[in-house]
Formats: sequence, C-alpha cells, structure tokens
Amino acid sequence: MTTGIRFDGVSVAYGGDVVLDSLDLTVEPGEVMALLGPSGSGKTTALRAVAGFVRPVSGRVFIGDRDVTDLPPHRRGVGMVVQQYALFPHMRVDANVAFGLKARRAPKDGIAARVAEALEMTGMSAYARRYPRELSGGQQQRVAIARALAVRPGVLLLDEPLSALDARLRSDMLAELARLHRDLPDVSMLYVTHDQMEALTLADRIALMDRSRLQDCGTPQDLYRRPRTEFTASFVGTANLLPVTVTGDGVRFAGAVLDVPAGTAAPGAPATLCVRPHAIGLGEGPNALRGKVTEAQWRGATHRLCVDVAGHRVTADVGEPHGTPPLGTEVTLHFAARDAVLLPAAAAGAGGGAAHG
Amino acid sequence: MADVRLPFPRVAAPARPRRFPGWVLVLPPVAALGVVFLHPLALVLWQSVSPDGGGHSFAAYGEVFAQAAFRDALRNTVLIAAGATAGSLALGFALALVIAFVPLPGGKALARFIDVFLSFPSFLITLALLFVYGTAGIANGLWTGTTGAAAGPFDFLHTPWGVLLAEITYFTPFVMRPLLAAFAQIDPAQLDVAASLGARVPRIVRQVILPEALPSLAAGGSLVLVMCLNEFGIVLFTGAKGVTTLPVLVYGKAILDGDYTGACVVAVVDIALSLALYGLYRTLTHRLDGARRARA
Amino acid sequence: MLVHSRRARRAVHAVFLALFLPVFALPFLVVAAASLATRWSGILPAGVTLDHYRAATGGDAIDALTTSLLTALAASALALVTGTWAALAAKGSRARRVVGLLFMLPVAVPSVVVGLSLLVAFSRPPLLLNGTSTIVVLAHAVLVTSFAHQAVSAALDRLDPAYEQAAASLGAGPVRVLLRVRLPLLLPSLSAAAGLCFALSMGELSATIMLYPPDWVPLPVKVFAATDRGALFSGAALAVVLMVTTFLVLLAVSRIRTRAVHR
Repeated sequence: MTTGIRFDGVSVAYGGDVVLDSLDLTVEPGEVMALLGPSGSGKTTALRAVAGFVRPVSGRVFIGDRDVTDLPPHRRGVGMVVQQYALFPHMRVDANVAFGLKARRAPKDGIAARVAEALEMTGMSAYARRYPRELSGGQQQRVAIARALAVRPGVLLLDEPLSALDARLRSDMLAELARLHRDLPDVSMLYVTHDQMEALTLADRIALMDRSRLQDCGTPQDLYRRPRTEFTASFVGTANLLPVTVTGDGVRFAGAVLDVPAGTAAPGAPATLCVRPHAIGLGEGPNALRGKVTEAQWRGATHRLCVDVAGHRVTADVGEPHGTPPLGTEVTLHFAARDAVLLPAAAAGAGGGAAHG
Repeated sequence: MADVRLPFPRVAAPARPRRFPGWVLVLPPVAALGVVFLHPLALVLWQSVSPDGGGHSFAAYGEVFAQAAFRDALRNTVLIAAGATAGSLALGFALALVIAFVPLPGGKALARFIDVFLSFPSFLITLALLFVYGTAGIANGLWTGTTGAAAGPFDFLHTPWGVLLAEITYFTPFVMRPLLAAFAQIDPAQLDVAASLGARVPRIVRQVILPEALPSLAAGGSLVLVMCLNEFGIVLFTGAKGVTTLPVLVYGKAILDGDYTGACVVAVVDIALSLALYGLYRTLTHRLDGARRARA
Repeated sequence: MLVHSRRARRAVHAVFLALFLPVFALPFLVVAAASLATRWSGILPAGVTLDHYRAATGGDAIDALTTSLLTALAASALALVTGTWAALAAKGSRARRVVGLLFMLPVAVPSVVVGLSLLVAFSRPPLLLNGTSTIVVLAHAVLVTSFAHQAVSAALDRLDPAYEQAAASLGAGPVRVLLRVRLPLLLPSLSAAAGLCFALSMGELSATIMLYPPDWVPLPVKVFAATDRGALFSGAALAVVLMVTTFLVLLAVSRIRTRAVHR
C-alpha cells in the first residue's frame, strides 16, 4: 500500500487573510517531506488542509489518487501526530491506540494484535495499561505515534511533533522517527517543523515555506549546498550573504575580485554570494578577505569569529587550536571557490523567487 | 511526477453530502425553551394589555402606576438592590482580598465553603436572622436578660434594613467568587516587586490589585444587582408588611388577590428593569472577556 | 503575600474572621442549633429536643423531601439535557451568540415572574398543567437551565480542539467523537453543572410558591409555611434536613467528579 499526497494550487484564507497561497507540491509515496519555515509561513495550514481541518478556498488536495478536498477529516484515512500529543486523557494507552481501529470498525479479534504491534513498534508495550497522565512527554508522544500508526495509514502527518520535548529527548525521538520510516517504507510522511535540524536529519525532501508560499523544494543536501535563494540559504543552515557585483571572471566584493563561478549571471549585475561559516578558513588562501575581529565565541570544537570586512560582517567557524584571536586583531579569511554559491540579489527584502518541487 | 496510484485502503465510503446544515441541531433545545419560557413570557406581556373585561388597552398600566403600593415597591426594590449591591461589593472585596493575599490556615476550605454557600437557598439567611435579631431572638434576649427591659432594641428585621442585611449576607459570596478567580490571575511576584519598590499595602491594593479586579467587580456587582432586584425568598421570610418589592407585589397580586392583569403589569415592569440591568451585566462581562483575550 | 509582618497578618486575620464568621458561619450554626430547641431568648437555645426532627422525618415532611428530591432530579436532568444539547449544537455555529443569549435570559427574569408566566400560559388549553407536578418541574427546569448551559458552554470553550481533531483524523465520525471523546472529557463539568442545578432546584421557593399544587409541596414551601405560622423551630429542623440533603447530594456528585478527573 503506497499513497502520496498532492497539493494542486491549494489556497487557504481566514477572513480576508491568505494564509496559504496556491501551493503546488507532491509528496511521493513513501517519501518523508518536511515542511520547513518560520511561524506563520503557512506550513501548518498546509498540513491541516491534508487532514481536513481547514478547507481550501481554491485548489484540490489529493491523497493517493483520491481527491479528498471535500471529505470530512474522518473519511480521509490519514494518521496525525500533533505537538501537544492530544492523547485522550480518559483512556488508557491501549484504548487510545485502539481508538482508530474501533472507529474504522476493524474486526474485533484483530484489534488487540494491531494495538500490540503498534505499541511494540514504538517501544511502549510495557505501558499499555497506563493513563496518559502517568507518562512522560516523550512516552506520550510515542503513544501518539503508535495511535496514528495502528490504523496503518498510507499518509502520516506530523505537526511539530518534537517541539514540546526537551533537546535531549528530541534527538532521541528524531532517531526513532528515522527508524520508523525505515521500518515503514511505504508510509508517506508530511512533517511540519520550524527546526532545520529536524528537517535536515529526517526528510527525503524539504519544502521551504515563507509568507504563505512555497519558496523552495529539494533534497536537504541540495538546499544546503546549492541554495537557490537568499531565504533558502539563510533558513537552511547559517550563511554569510555578501552583496557582490558580477564581473567577467568572478565577482567583486568590497573592492577585491573573488574567484567564484559566475554561471549565467550577466557581468555588472548585482548578486549575493553565499558562503557557509564552516567553509571559511583562517589564514591566507584563495579568495582572501581581510578584516578586524569584532566578536569571538568559543564553542568547544570551533571558534565562531565575526570579522568586519570593509563594513560587512563575515562569520567564520574555525577550528583554531591556538586560542581565540583577541578582538580587534587583523585577520585574513579564505574560502574555496567550490564552497561558494552565487545567488540572484534579493529584490528589496523579498524572500526571492518561488521554486517548485 | 509519477504517483503510484493505488486505490485507497479501508476508507472506501464516498463523501456523503450533509443532509441538513449544522444549525438545525440547535432548534430542538431552543424550541423547548420557547415553549416553556419565551412563549409564556410573551403571554404575560399580552395579558398585561388585556383587561378582564375584554379588549386591549394600557388602562391596567395607568391603574397600577397610580397605586402608592406600586410606587413604594418600585422604590424599595431599587433602593434595597442598590444598597445590597454596594454592601456586597465592599464586604466581598475585603474578604476576597484576605483569602487571596493574606493566606490563612484553612483558606482553601473557606473557598469551598463559599461554593457550598452559593448553592443554599436565600431564605435560610432570613430564617437565621430571625433567631439572631428577631423579637424573641438571641440579641433581644441578651438585652432583656441583662437590662431587665420588657423588649429588646433590635427590631429592624421587618424594615428594609433587615432585608438589606440578609441580602448583603447572602449575595457577598456571589461577588467573592469571580474576585477570587481574578485574584488568582495576579502574579504574586507583582506584589513583591511593588512592595520592594517601596509601595505600602493601601497603594498596592489601589494600584496593582484593584485595576486587575475591576472588571470582575463590575461583572459580579451587576450580577448581584440583578439578583437582588429579583430576590423574593428573603423578603417573603421577613414577613415584613412594610417592605414590599416588585416580586412580592407580583406574588401578592397574582396569588393573594387573583388580579392576573395587575400582576402581569408589575411583572412587565420588573422584567424591563431586570433585563436592562442584565444587558449592562452582559456588556461588562463581554468587555471583560475581550480584555482578557486581548491580553492573552 | 501582601502583609509580611506576623503581627499585622494576625490583625488582618482577626478582622477577617470577625466579619466572615458572623456573616457566613453563624446563620448555619444558628439554624442548626434552633432546630434542636424549643425556646431561644438568651445566648444559647433552651429546651433541647429532637421532636422537630421526629416531625421533619415523618409524615408530611418526608413527603415534602421526596417531592423536592424528585423535582430537583427531574428538573436537573431536563436542564442538563437541554443546556448541553444547546451548547454542543451551537458550538462553532453562527447561532452561538443568539443561543447563549436566549439561554441566559431565565437568569435575568425574576423567578416569581417565571412562575407567573407559566401560570398564565398553562392554565388554559391546549396544555392545562396548572395544578400538576409537571408545572413545578418545568419551572425549576427553566430556572436552572441557564446554569447548565453556561457551565457546559464554558467547558466546551476550554476543551482543546486537538482531541476532537485527533479523533476525527483517526476515522471517528461526529457521533463517535461526541460519545467517546467530547462527552467523557466534559464529564467533570457536566457533573458540576448537575450538582449546581440540583442544589438550586432543591432550594427554589419563588416560582414554586406561585405554582405548587396541594399534592406536590416541596420542602422550601414547607419551611415557609412553618415559619409563617410562627413555628420557627420546626421550620429550622426542616431547613436543616434540606441543607443536609443538598449537601450530601453535592458531596456524592463531587465524588463522581473527582473520580472522573483522576481516571
């Protein structure tokens, strides 16, 4: 059983506010798609449109090849896990997990086995007779996942499932979710998060949302290494975004010419150069930038240096073994041409052009 | 993009169109309310303009308005209600303040006690007061016992003051409950900070607590005002012939005199008065809700 | 804490008790003490007797208690069903404000007038209810429905929609969501509302006194009749029976509620 999700020009508006603007996106069967974006970017609205809790003003939502746009939530056959777990407090763990099976009138003798299986899968078998309030946050979230999986949905919707957990538990659960995805290769997952780490770790592809629109979509590596817009570059990982001018054989930044493949950009055009902090080294090298250290943070394995280069702030994560350079020191930074990406200059603060996945 | 298109499992039922809109479900309870409450109320209005002789006129209104008993009742009702409300507000504020901010052992139990108190009928208070201040009650008994006088000095139960005392006693908890809820919203750290900045208790109460409690005071006060206007049991139990309020007049005209039209006229005036005040109460609680939501 | 010095706190507490005890505790004590006495014209009641209780737990009085209990049960059930239904049906619908307003109206209308209106409406065909117990139950139901409706709709507003949505996403239709999720989650509020309705109905006098037929005399009317003819002490005993019964029922209801919450 494999089922994907397809958004076909889906727009959602509350009152006059458009909170999701003509979303076109396909989640392939068995794929984990992360909807990543800041709060208010429309990512949760997109998920709720699949679950059936918001009704699009235009466009269609498909689950598999079924147009579910007009179906009430209980006829859509999705599994859903939300941030606050929403376990039924008046039911024991096993009754919570059995709820969906009973609602779908699964044969009675099969229910117990399916409940046991779902609890086994999430490592909660020992807690079947507990009430939700007797469980920790992480355990409750496991039960919520078991409850969603027990009905064997083709599609699993996860709405910020880890954000109520503390950092340590979050990384454990993240590994757990990755394992579940390996165990259930046929289940498509739509995973809403504002945390890029979660998206990078878990997702096969990331759909990047901002201001009610899909901004970019691609594999994590693709978005991280080859971002297409400033928004993507700054939201997926951290990035130095330097205003440059394209020249014949590179770009000009703060008076210096940098050797960066300019691609198809026309000479003389303004552009933005994206370099990841960890790709910048300290000392002489190709594409050298000189400036004064304005800030230095020791972060254990690395130092984070903020260097003022001709009025632009450049951040570098360097593994300097000889202690932090004192503030005000003149330093030279460098980076390899292949670590830099040239982006179209952002149009007056807008998040860049939309791209489709 | 190539979707693997397989029929969706398990949930095979097609979308069933809804047979009726959701609001239709509201109709049965509303209809029930209409039959046993709204329609009878309308009949009262109708009866008040339908004299026994037949036809329709406002003559009954003129007649009732001309009666001194009616004007007395109206004045009594309004004055007692206003006084009882003011008294309940003052007493309720003071008591709630102590329970909330100067915790005393058993404070929780006190709060529970208030809840129980609210669910007892009002006439119990009058009954108790009869034993305390009645002609043969504790207070007068003590007086005659110690002074040897023939009668005690306490003889206010059958006056508006007796009703006022009973109503203040009975309605104070109705003020305290919303106040305690509002006080629970105040972060104790605010009071500590205010005190550490050198504010004395009266200033803290005036500038920190009172503004926070004002909406609840207003809402509780207007609720109590409405309930005082409508109070019947307390007045009935004092057996005070001198204290007639509008509800007592309705009862007297309808049950004792059998004058339904007159009773309906008084009832209409009473309803108008109560509804006007109740509208005020709703407006205040609505504002309160709005303010709370705006802060949240 | 507002008052920090121990002495000041004591003073505040003393004033508090001086106000609180006579105003709120005294009435109960006085009524309870009087119910055991035959005379009271000193600091303490005199002529201790259980006669009033013997009277209050037999014959007429026990009938009145039964009448009150039955009336309160029936009225609370009616009010709870109507109020809950209205609150559930109006939730999320545009009719919500109107329904809320309609169901709050009985609080604003004087109880005596509610009694009068029922008398006017049901003393003529097609529904001739005057002189029956039904009209008393209806009056009580009208008077307490507001409280039931208000309690349930407030609880509904507080209910996290995530539960219903989780249930729906698991495939539960509206009826199953109502029966298995919403109502169980509302149970604590429903039982609290039931307790309140019951207590209010037990003590209702204003509308009852306009309506009660001779064969359906609830306890408050009995208390009034006793005090009205000067039998204050037996009235007090009846009042104590009324209070204790109400309190016991409230206690039982709150037991159910605690169990529902702690499950």
